[in-house]
Amino acid sequence: MKPGLKNPFNLIVTGVGGQGNVLASRILGNMLALGGFQITIGETFGASQRGGSVMSHIRISPGSTWSPQIPKGCADAIVALEPAEGVRVLSDYGHDKVCFISNTRPVYPAGVIAGGAVYPPIEEIRSGVLSLVPDALFIDATEEAIKLGRPILGNIVMIGALAATRLLPLDRKKFRVAADKIAGSDSLDYNLKAFDAGRRLFQTAMSRRSRPAYPVTRRS
Amino acid sequence: MEDVILAGRCTGCGACVDICPYFGSHMGKTAMLFPCTIARGRCFASCPRAEVDLDLLSEKTFGAPYAEVPVGSHRKIFVSHSGARIGNANYQAGGTVSALLSFVLEKGIIDAAVLVDRQEGLPRPRRITEPQEVLSCASSSFAAVPVISELNRAVRDGYRRIGTVATPCQAVAAALIRINPLNEDEFINPLSFIIGLFCTWALDLRSMTALFSGRGLDLRSVIRCDVPPPPAEKFEIVTGGGKHDIPLQEVRDLTSPACAWCPDMTSEFADVSVGMLEGSAGKNILIIRTPFGEEIAEKAREERYIVLDEIPPEQLRNLERAAAAKKRRALLKLKKEGLLNTARKGKRACFRLRPEILEKLIG
Amino acid sequence: MSLLLKNKEGDKRLLMGNEAIARGAIEAGLAVATGYPGTPSSEIIENLSRISRQAGIYVEWSVNEKVAAEAAAAASFAGLRSLCVMKQNGVNVASDFLLHLAESGTRGGMVLVPCDDPGALSSVNEGDARFFARMLEVPLLEPGDFQEAKDMTRWAFALSEEIRNFVVLRSVTRLSHASGMVSLGKIPRGRTQAQFRHAGALLDPESGPMISCLPGAPQFTHRRQQDKIRTAREIFETSPFNYYEGPRRPEVLIVASSICSLYSREAIAMLGKAGKKCGLLKMGTTWPLPEKFLQKHLSSAEKIVFVEEVLPFLEENVLMLAGRWTQGKGPKSYYGKNSGTLPSYGEMNPDLIAEALGKVLAVRRRPVRPESFAAKAGAFADNAAPRRELTFCPGCPHRASFWSIHSALKLDGREGFVCGDIGCYTLAAFPTGFNSLRTVHSMGSGAGLAGGFGRLRAFGLRQPILAVCGDSTFFHAAVPALINAVHHQADLTMVILDNRGTAMTGFQPHPGLPVNAMQESAPPVEIENICRGIGVETEIRDPFDLKGTRDALLSFLEKKEGARVLILRQACSLSPEKKKKNSFKVRVDENACRGERCGCNRLCTRIFRCPGLYWDNRKQVARIDDVVCAGCGVCASICPAGAILKEDAV
Repeated sequence: MKPGLKNPFNLIVTGVGGQGNVLASRILGNMLALGGFQITIGETFGASQRGGSVMSHIRISPGSTWSPQIPKGCADAIVALEPAEGVRVLSDYGHDKVCFISNTRPVYPAGVIAGGAVYPPIEEIRSGVLSLVPDALFIDATEEAIKLGRPILGNIVMIGALAATRLLPLDRKKFRVAADKIAGSDSLDYNLKAFDAGRRLFQTAMSRRSRPAYPVTRRS
Repeated sequence: MEDVILAGRCTGCGACVDICPYFGSHMGKTAMLFPCTIARGRCFASCPRAEVDLDLLSEKTFGAPYAEVPVGSHRKIFVSHSGARIGNANYQAGGTVSALLSFVLEKGIIDAAVLVDRQEGLPRPRRITEPQEVLSCASSSFAAVPVISELNRAVRDGYRRIGTVATPCQAVAAALIRINPLNEDEFINPLSFIIGLFCTWALDLRSMTALFSGRGLDLRSVIRCDVPPPPAEKFEIVTGGGKHDIPLQEVRDLTSPACAWCPDMTSEFADVSVGMLEGSAGKNILIIRTPFGEEIAEKAREERYIVLDEIPPEQLRNLERAAAAKKRRALLKLKKEGLLNTARKGKRACFRLRPEILEKLIG
Repeated sequence: MSLLLKNKEGDKRLLMGNEAIARGAIEAGLAVATGYPGTPSSEIIENLSRISRQAGIYVEWSVNEKVAAEAAAAASFAGLRSLCVMKQNGVNVASDFLLHLAESGTRGGMVLVPCDDPGALSSVNEGDARFFARMLEVPLLEPGDFQEAKDMTRWAFALSEEIRNFVVLRSVTRLSHASGMVSLGKIPRGRTQAQFRHAGALLDPESGPMISCLPGAPQFTHRRQQDKIRTAREIFETSPFNYYEGPRRPEVLIVASSICSLYSREAIAMLGKAGKKCGLLKMGTTWPLPEKFLQKHLSSAEKIVFVEEVLPFLEENVLMLAGRWTQGKGPKSYYGKNSGTLPSYGEMNPDLIAEALGKVLAVRRRPVRPESFAAKAGAFADNAAPRRELTFCPGCPHRASFWSIHSALKLDGREGFVCGDIGCYTLAAFPTGFNSLRTVHSMGSGAGLAGGFGRLRAFGLRQPILAVCGDSTFFHAAVPALINAVHHQADLTMVILDNRGTAMTGFQPHPGLPVNAMQESAPPVEIENICRGIGVETEIRDPFDLKGTRDALLSFLEKKEGARVLILRQACSLSPEKKKKNSFKVRVDENACRGERCGCNRLCTRIFRCPGLYWDNRKQVARIDDVVCAGCGVCASICPAGAILKEDAV
């Protein structure tokens, strides 16, 4: 099964410890493995969970096992559960053609809460990112998750948005199988709602644009 | 507060304690718990060692600038002792302080008094609201106790006519508090009456505990301490078990280093000041400073709470000589260390006064 | 049914490295698994514990790694296959026993799995456990990817039984915590009956007693141990876990082990045309080294680059061998950590290796993105992405404990200090814990150091001395230090932060809890009983009761002689009981909040720094972030204005 994807396709999911970054990357990895890809996911958890930055590097390949760390500047898609982390990853691993989707709700670092460091307003982050990556997208994933009653679902909303770009073969059926296996059948209902909400948010944002942002790939 | 606490100039008066979460007091020592970024807050404004403008304080307290008077601004000076209205108690000397406190409490002139209590263990600040409680707090402690922190707590609890019995540094803090140092619009002066005490030095509680326990004494069992007049060179302690003497030099070695910067022997910024009359057990010297202080003293005399007598000229001269000596010593040290009239961070002045007055005082 | 037990041979699954290792052990017919929680190793035992009943295996979180190794060895002596798991520092703790075990040998296959943490991402050191294999004279395997993590583990048991000694299988964070595709194997049926045969002759490996070395007679056991290593070396000469890929005569030969082989492969690809001049010799058996195999491949190139995690173990061992060779050598240049071509500290990644290769090949890599982008994005990130310092979770009892500890030490005013230890509370060395910790070393060393300081009064040391350790750390290592302090009358206050679990590593149980690794109920060993049994004055307080805690500390600090223990007991905010719901609903009364004004100066956001609080710059008040707040209510106790209100959560 070779849908013409770059080999490897490099996806980074980033956020702050506690946002469900690891769960999201597991689900994505499993969805793509179901699609027949050879997947490698590199991540760090442990001390980073205590409010630190976390990243998952997902390598998607037809048949090779790539390293669990993506080389600098080589990300093809960046999904940010938290905007400042998105900026950080964009700076280290991104480039002008990267697919960039970010949540809008900040998680303030302790240094900012305490008043020493400054966290810029989201509008500044958005315009800064757009000046680097004109097709970047910001969606209110946490707000959507709060509407569903569970703020933690922000990570699943982001998965839905990524699925809607059709850059990768991530359909709802595969999501259902993967989410059931990894997050459990008890939360499947919520997860499906969040996935759908993410797809909706992406489509709404796209419909506001004059031209399609991403090359529409082959059917997934 | 790096100029005061870290530099070792803190006297432990407690003015900065319990007005905010950053300062605390333990075993008589004031500590800064966490760093605060406000340069000149309430703590600075009431600290007796942080850029105290002696002229401003004098103007606001007495209506005249700070002058070169060794015992400080005053209206009259008497020899005093408690009168017929007051019972017997464990007085240090003449019982004048207890008498005056009883008077202002009984007449409702103050709603609370903050002072040092010794009866239940280590010397510590106490707030009393009933005249009966006065007599249980008699006697000098010779320890640096953060009395002004209790004043702060009383203010927080809503008391607005507070009296305090204060050592010189504590009296300066109290005097600063009452003059609205931060120029706030909705300021209410919570302090009605300041009784100052004479003081040449104080020990911090830890040193005192160590000193006493080294002699096998428990601070908790102490009834009274005294420094008999020269040439005794003794520190007397009276406990339930009897009298004990410690060589005075040993005690002097344990005084708080902060006392070396203190130019005030007689609590110059109180309403009235009370001290021992050397050579006369059972008598005090009473210095009356403010009009309000005079009013209180007169009324208390009328109603036989206190008895006032003339002070023999020689005793007055002795007092002035001692006070001038302490003032001179301290001012010389302050001047030498650049702690007068300066404003450099880390070397901010303890006091501000006119150079010509300074010259007169150090001779 | 858990993936680890699914008997679908040939199925390909996305597994975490630790899951693959666990699956490999199951496929080998594992009976017993022991370990102590330590990042990045903990998931191996966690996964096995979840299936313990179904799989009929015994899984134990031992009190420390030495005891874990002993428990696993017992299983091996009784003929069962056992697995012992720990992070790199655990091997230090277990090493005394392991040294002796290596000499007595084993029976049922036993595999020791240390997981190193290059870059110290979740550790306070960057240890390299491989050197123990050499010192202990036992074989060392390093899986290079996820399939090997499973296959090597399974094979390691067979190897262990062949040579009758335990085998070390070393993983690293980027393998243990990374995930990749693994083709599953068969799970065997049947169980071995446990029996410890010991009645045979003294040196009979099958049925004699298991004694490490006969005093004064190393010619028996030590020589036997070295024979075993020679056997392993022969086996390794033809192991499929060592292989070469690349041109027949490469200009540069990369010798790599562990996850570095994947990095090296990637680095070669990153160099494009120049990369085609490189060959990769991937080593999976790294002690003892297969000498003939290495000699053959090293003779094919003039430039050799060693790529490995942490210390130049492989590099130096190969160089030692190469130093002996007289044939097929030719002129050679060796590059690695010793030559400075690769950094000698920190973890490896493809960029570092590509850069090193570029230097060796004297080629420049083409930039993968426009320089203008990199510069602009970098400047933007410096501004817009502030650093994230590690911080206690919202509702963490340690924040409250250290608030009281720090305050008490300041009030005490005699420059007292805290000797720290390993756990979540290690973060108290940073602003989140008010920079309270003044020493941090290894498990239990806080108490040990404090005990040492506590004997220096005679030399004029006046400062009050505190030690902190967690509940798990207490059982692991602090008890002997406490006994020492009590017996030698060291003047110290030991604070045990009992948050009811081993929190930093994922909240595993320990002997103080009424439950074990397999979620069965188990008799708890009470910390206070141990302390009182030792004869030390012991008090217990709730760290959320700030006043009670501080008063207890101040009173302890005033004492002059002997040790005393203060247990601060409050469950971790990630514990099952706390995660279910918040105790309080907390909010800020904006009208009462003093904010930046004198009398507060933003105490809650600036100093207390709980992530559940943030400063609203527009309204100039503190606010609670409802999404983040854990509802512990401690901030309400510290607010000087009483502006933070808490009410019982429904």
